[in-house]
Amino acid sequence: MSAKNLSDYLIAFFIIICLNFLLPRTMPGDPLAAIYGEEALLSLTPELKRDLAAQFGLDKPFFEQFLFYLLSLLKGNLGYSYHYEVPVSELLLRAAPWTMLLIGSALIVSTVLGYVLGLESGWQRGNSADKGLLTGLMFLSGFPDFFVGIILLLLFGVSLGLFPISGALTPYMGLTGWSLIKDVLWHLLLPLTSLVIAEVSAIFLLVRSTAVTVLGEPFILTAKAKGIRKRHIKFRHVGKNSLLPLFTRTGIRVGHMITGALFVEIVFAYPGIGLLIYNSVMARDYPVLQGVFFLVAVAVIVCNLAVDLLYRTIDPRVR
Amino acid sequence: MHINYVNTIKKNSLGITGILLLFFMSLLAFIAPVLAQYSPVEPSTQTLAFPSASHWLGTNDIGQDIFSRLIYGARTSLLIAAGAGSLTAFIGAFLGISAALAGGICEKIIMRAADILLIIPNMVVIILVAAYLRPGIAALILVIAVFGWQGNARVIRSQALSLKERAHVAAAKAFGAGNLYILFKHIIPDLFPLITTSFIYHARRAVFMEAGLAFLGISDPAVISWGTMLNRALDFSYLNNWYWLIPPGAALSITIVSFTFLGYALEETIDLRLGDKNA
Amino acid sequence: MAKKTIVFFIIFLVMAALVAGCSPGAKNTAPEPTENMPSVYTVADNVGDWGFPAPYSHYLRGPGYIRMSLIFDTLVWKDENGIKGLLAEKWHYDQEQNMYSFSLRKDVRWHDGKKLTAEDIAFTFDFTKRYPYPWCDTSIVEKVEAEDDYTVKIFLKEAYAPFLTNIAGCLPIIPKHIYQNVENPSNFKGTKAVTGTGPFKLLDYNKEHGTYLYEANENYYLGKPRVDRIRFVKVSGQMIPAALQKGTVNAGEIPPEVVSKFQQNFKVLSSGHDWNAKLIFNHNIKPFCEKEFRQAVAYAIDRNRLVKISQRGHALAGSPGMLPPDSFWYAPEIKKYEFNPELSRKMLKKLGCNQQNFEILTTSRFSRDAELIKEDLEKVGLIVSIRSLEDKTLDARIEDWDFQMAINGHGGLNGDPQCFNKFVLGGDFNSVRYRKNEELVAMLEKQLSIMNDERRREVVREIQEVYAAELPALTLYYPNWHWAHDGKVGLYYTPGGVSIGIPVPLNKLAFLEGHNVR
Repeated sequence: MSAKNLSDYLIAFFIIICLNFLLPRTMPGDPLAAIYGEEALLSLTPELKRDLAAQFGLDKPFFEQFLFYLLSLLKGNLGYSYHYEVPVSELLLRAAPWTMLLIGSALIVSTVLGYVLGLESGWQRGNSADKGLLTGLMFLSGFPDFFVGIILLLLFGVSLGLFPISGALTPYMGLTGWSLIKDVLWHLLLPLTSLVIAEVSAIFLLVRSTAVTVLGEPFILTAKAKGIRKRHIKFRHVGKNSLLPLFTRTGIRVGHMITGALFVEIVFAYPGIGLLIYNSVMARDYPVLQGVFFLVAVAVIVCNLAVDLLYRTIDPRVR
Repeated sequence: MHINYVNTIKKNSLGITGILLLFFMSLLAFIAPVLAQYSPVEPSTQTLAFPSASHWLGTNDIGQDIFSRLIYGARTSLLIAAGAGSLTAFIGAFLGISAALAGGICEKIIMRAADILLIIPNMVVIILVAAYLRPGIAALILVIAVFGWQGNARVIRSQALSLKERAHVAAAKAFGAGNLYILFKHIIPDLFPLITTSFIYHARRAVFMEAGLAFLGISDPAVISWGTMLNRALDFSYLNNWYWLIPPGAALSITIVSFTFLGYALEETIDLRLGDKNA
Repeated sequence: MAKKTIVFFIIFLVMAALVAGCSPGAKNTAPEPTENMPSVYTVADNVGDWGFPAPYSHYLRGPGYIRMSLIFDTLVWKDENGIKGLLAEKWHYDQEQNMYSFSLRKDVRWHDGKKLTAEDIAFTFDFTKRYPYPWCDTSIVEKVEAEDDYTVKIFLKEAYAPFLTNIAGCLPIIPKHIYQNVENPSNFKGTKAVTGTGPFKLLDYNKEHGTYLYEANENYYLGKPRVDRIRFVKVSGQMIPAALQKGTVNAGEIPPEVVSKFQQNFKVLSSGHDWNAKLIFNHNIKPFCEKEFRQAVAYAIDRNRLVKISQRGHALAGSPGMLPPDSFWYAPEIKKYEFNPELSRKMLKKLGCNQQNFEILTTSRFSRDAELIKEDLEKVGLIVSIRSLEDKTLDARIEDWDFQMAINGHGGLNGDPQCFNKFVLGGDFNSVRYRKNEELVAMLEKQLSIMNDERRREVVREIQEVYAAELPALTLYYPNWHWAHDGKVGLYYTPGGVSIGIPVPLNKLAFLEGHNVR
């Protein structure tokens, strides 16, 4: 079981690489233009073009080109952005921390919030509070994250003027220490809220349904019969058991979150991976697009794998 | 055995709300040509008009009627929902059932592929593919379906497997019924609620994806889409143009919510039914 | 129990609002400068990156020059009253020798402390012989002599009317002691490359985020600037009004629709019609090489409709003679090409050119124009497809003649009419590079040597007439542009544009004491 799953990850990884390799090369026209973007190509001299074509092995047969590609990936070479005039890996390193901050905090907040609400709702299954929460949160989940972001931006950022309208910090303010942290958090709040609103209902539904299932189990009845206090049952028995499915979904949720963050970052001009994707799509900066795609895909795969492995050590039943 | 959808959903207030909302949106889409007093694409010299009797939701920056674009946008969304939803559900069901019935190497390959696809973040893949190919409606439906069937196929396979062992199927087999007969007479009808649920789920996902890609500006610009409308409206947010921003966003949300409610209601009824079985 | 949950749910829904209420609300506006904090002036820009602000690496667009001009000075400079000396204290023109003599200020120091001398001026001109500064054609200069440390004589090959504005007022003077060893100036970046004499020094430039940070040059010879720092930040166009209202930026361009609202609490500056969008024909290939074809296209395009729809009425329809009606040099009597699809169709038929497929290249900025033009052209039987490119890609493809028709734009129409030579005979993408009409070329060359404005105007009018008949490009419209600022610094639109005619109200002299109008 274990070895088989591990190979799944390897194959997935391989497919990502293939996609990245094939897409620009199946485009009509000059493959170099598709790899580097038309704009970059114009700024290149014919000699440099020839050099690049040779570097990619574009004059070689298809299979050899692929080997070339793999080799450069192995060397950690994600390509070069002629738009920004820096290596793609550098752009990624600069953008990734902001996205990690956004996704990380959204993951924590939405998990805690979804967990608490889901438990409460499941505990009170069927009464008006449960129905209200269920309907309300499902309704919220219908709002695409970028729409939520736009509304929050216009309401709290523009109309009420309570929050910054773009960026991750105030540039060139020379802020340090506590005031810098405050500035960063202040810029984070609206994007974070948008992401949490878009993501919380999935967790809520998951926890609620687990809680409902657990509540029907015999051991809860036993506990109740024993006269254990309700609070104790709710948090110790039901709560604890609802944690596991929440945890196993983390990998999938990180994938969701990255997509969500992409849209939210665009709305708030938050300088993370999402904005990088958007800008590279707009500028047809294909090397960046490919690099970002590679990084995100790998991140999600690794996340899935980590959760999978951890899950096996936590839950003996899986073995 | 086979559930009566109308009856079960009727009992579920969320389901009713979902159906009503969806019906409303479909109606809008269907009678769009009657309802719209202006062409949704023809520009006019009356630009950025505030909502009025002649333009119910005002006009956009090149003088197109926002209301007309809104209801024509419903056509795009629902078309993609129906197309991608049914195609994904079909691929998922086809592969899931094939895996369950055929077994052996075929099952292994299909399930392996599903497992691998589950690991890959499909929205990110779709964005990459769309950025290169700038797909029109048909291509978009195809892309969404190709990267979306995996979860569905797994669920259907496991259900089909358990059905295979069930009494009435086993009985039919004992009476010498052929594989195809069993498939169409017993397995597919029994799986139908599951397939319907997956259709709803994927229709919802497709609406979201189409709007998302359009919002990113990587879909066919000729297609009238709520996502494109939102993107354009955001460019003019300095006008405090709530009348232009809210309608496409709300229409999008209503459509997605209607699918959510409907899907949830269906799932609950299925759970109940399966629950009864297990008991 | 149920009640408690509902309350909890409501709390969740208004979470954002609550957090907003009890968090440090003062943080949402830019901190007011206090005694020990440097005063910062923030300018919003929706593009952000305009290149590294050194003379040879800024982008060849107005805002790129502006960012460079804060660091580098020229011999003379235009403010709201006209030309005044900057590095030069006084100057005179010797008609006999066709020579300009400049007396330099003696108190000018480079940012690294070295003194500026006439050697640096001579060096800069020599440097441009080897490495032409693309914005300033110095080929008219015969030789430059440093007579003593503070006198420099510039001899011209011919009489050249626009010398003061377009060369002395445009060419950034670079330090000899740094640039003499530079061999590839467009790749020369870093602190040394931005050693100038100007009122500001570059502290940071971030290409990716499109931000610039400048620090006041305390020892500037015209006095210390009014603000300690200037920063340029990237703010998307639709958010600039909000950023201004929140006070996070001091100045920025605003959309025309909010002008009247901003006039209440802000200073609003409105540009002249200095900038034009134009439809460029590749007149090297068929059928665009035939002027009747170009004229037929001009008749087919409804420029007034473009103004009304794509510019939402906030523009002036283009004059086929390129110069805008509010220019001193404008010729009112030229051929107008009033919208006439009927005539266009006839002309095309005569040329046998209908039912052909063409491609228009453009950028997202002109996508609406392109769509409307496509409609217009399809009505006269020309089938058009639109291809939207990135700004720099479009510029490069036009420069390489790799297009059929293209929509692009440029400013500089309100400066010296030398701009006509730049946009007709010049070598870059903003120029139509049209030499087929010898009369036009001869007149263009002639106008530069006419020192009398009235007589020169006669020739410039004739030039417009011929240009309108030849029509190597069709000017579509001149947009109205508006900037709003909070009055902290008295920004102004420089008459005739900054330097060679940049329609941006960021004249560096506005940042100096005694040089601002409130």
